[in-house]
Amino acid sequence: MGGSALTFLDWAIVVLRVALPVLVLPLFVVPLTWLERRGAAFIQDRPGPNRVGPLGLVQPIADMIKMFFKEAITPTSADRFLYLLAPAIAVFAALSTFAVVPYGATIHVDGREIPMLGADLSIGVLYIFAITSLSVYAIVLAGWASNSKFSLMGGIRSGAQIISYELAMTTAAAGVILASSSFRLSDVIAMQQGTWLGVIPRWNVIPQFFGFVVFFISAFAETNRLPFDLPEAEAELVAGYHTEYSAMRFGAFQMAEYVNVMVVSAITTTLYFGGWSLPGFHPQGALGALASLLVFMAKSFFFVCVFIWVRWTLPRFRYDQLMKIGWKALLPLALANLLWIGALEMWRMRA
Amino acid sequence: MTAGRAIFDLAAAVAIVFSGLMVVGRNPVRSVLSLVVAFFGLATCFVLLLAPFIAALQVIVYAGAILVLFLFVLMLLNVGQEQPDRTGRPIQTVLGSAAVLVFAGLLLGMFRGSGAHVPTPADPISPSALGDPAALARLLYSDYLLHFEAVSVLLLAALVGAFVLARPEKVS
Amino acid sequence: MIGSIPLSDALLVSGALFSIGIAGALLRRNAIQIFLSIELMMNAANLALIGYGAALGTREGQIIVFFVIAIAAAEAAVGLAIFVALFRHSETIDVNKINLLKW
Repeated sequence: MGGSALTFLDWAIVVLRVALPVLVLPLFVVPLTWLERRGAAFIQDRPGPNRVGPLGLVQPIADMIKMFFKEAITPTSADRFLYLLAPAIAVFAALSTFAVVPYGATIHVDGREIPMLGADLSIGVLYIFAITSLSVYAIVLAGWASNSKFSLMGGIRSGAQIISYELAMTTAAAGVILASSSFRLSDVIAMQQGTWLGVIPRWNVIPQFFGFVVFFISAFAETNRLPFDLPEAEAELVAGYHTEYSAMRFGAFQMAEYVNVMVVSAITTTLYFGGWSLPGFHPQGALGALASLLVFMAKSFFFVCVFIWVRWTLPRFRYDQLMKIGWKALLPLALANLLWIGALEMWRMRA
Repeated sequence: MTAGRAIFDLAAAVAIVFSGLMVVGRNPVRSVLSLVVAFFGLATCFVLLLAPFIAALQVIVYAGAILVLFLFVLMLLNVGQEQPDRTGRPIQTVLGSAAVLVFAGLLLGMFRGSGAHVPTPADPISPSALGDPAALARLLYSDYLLHFEAVSVLLLAALVGAFVLARPEKVS
Repeated sequence: MIGSIPLSDALLVSGALFSIGIAGALLRRNAIQIFLSIELMMNAANLALIGYGAALGTREGQIIVFFVIAIAAAEAAVGLAIFVALFRHSETIDVNKINLLKW
């Protein structure tokens, strides 16, 4: 802030770094919905959308147009301000989480360093959890402001689910933070450079496999995806906290959910799979940064596919089973992982 | 007026305004939400006062857990709006307001000039390193380890206490 | 002075927030509002501590605030449990009406 004069180019670069993911992520939601429906169809051995455009590729556009033209009904006794605020908070939280994730290698050009992330905060991973805490409000407010019993139950259940799994997720991430001695995500990636025995990449998933399992399962619960989507299950609660939302407001919640899936996949690759880096891959200049961006996107895309795959494969957990797993299975496993990583670090520092 | 001070002033204004809204609001749910916004403003102030780790903790623990707990209790118990006071307690209101005004005046008067009397730090740490989480952690686990363990026990006691207190009464 | 925010600014904000908190705690009858005002007062104190930490260039301020936040969490949990038990019993949240111990 302040200091030597920042030129217009500096400001433009900062704005681009931050604005680019915010603008691009919602764009990726469109093919993601197509992938979800075709993937679901493939798993369920049926064709899926194939009427609109070749392979049904224009289906998401048709869905979007339909959603824009739907009538937006507001329940009469709803708290109107909170009712409209909830989807806004959901979208805001989903997009803001991506600000600290490095999506490419640093570009060195003209003696200027352009890191490819929104902001390399000294509290990077904590920022992600702070924004996740914010997303609880979107759901609880949606449930409350709709003034309907289904919505309220769905909202409270979902809120309780998210804050329970937040614990397991944070403890699992604490293992990663311990291994990299820093909260910064760029340091986390830096610690995952190189290989063991010349061939196995030094990704965090290998020493912290159970931490990764806990983190990834908690990610399903955090994003309200099956098998943890009881709060929005059709057969149980109509549609849970977004029962009373229609048209673009519902669209906002759906978009927030898909953006959350993408962001959580990105965070998983950064924390456990080396982010944009590959062993033996030293990106140079802008072309190298582009290559690292593609590597990052490929890895995240893999996890997004896993999200879709699991959704259409596993049945839903009952609510008490869900809470039991979160508190009695994942949290102790994450703590055990933390102890294990602590022991590893002490062994590594013994010299 | 640097950018830092401008942001601090803005965040502080947000905190004060929304705290005021919290205090005068009728609807308890809206009060809690106003306080959430105020806490976000406070977290921004913390960042500008070189304590980013504490700012993150403020958002995660205070705004993201404690106030969510408030919201859950309010929503599950369906706590209604405060009914207008029929009996009215004029003495309490007048004395309370007078006390607040006197106290506020004293505080503000005291704080207005105190910036000039800050002792020069003996061994100052550079601003960028002041909020370094690693250094904080080192301090926490060495000089303040006893405090840390004591607070852990306190949290356990609170956990058990809250569970026992909120349990439905056994029908004997 | 370390950092770009003068100490008096931080203290003024802290004092204002604390006064607002006291006003809420003394003048409201709703138990939840009183509780929220108390939380606000604690946060005002946190701000003062952080302000001094930044002005003196020491980390103690942040350490104390760390503990204050943890203690506030414990207190909120127990306080809300008491509130739930009370509400279950008397169905009102007006502290003026909870007067069973009055002679």
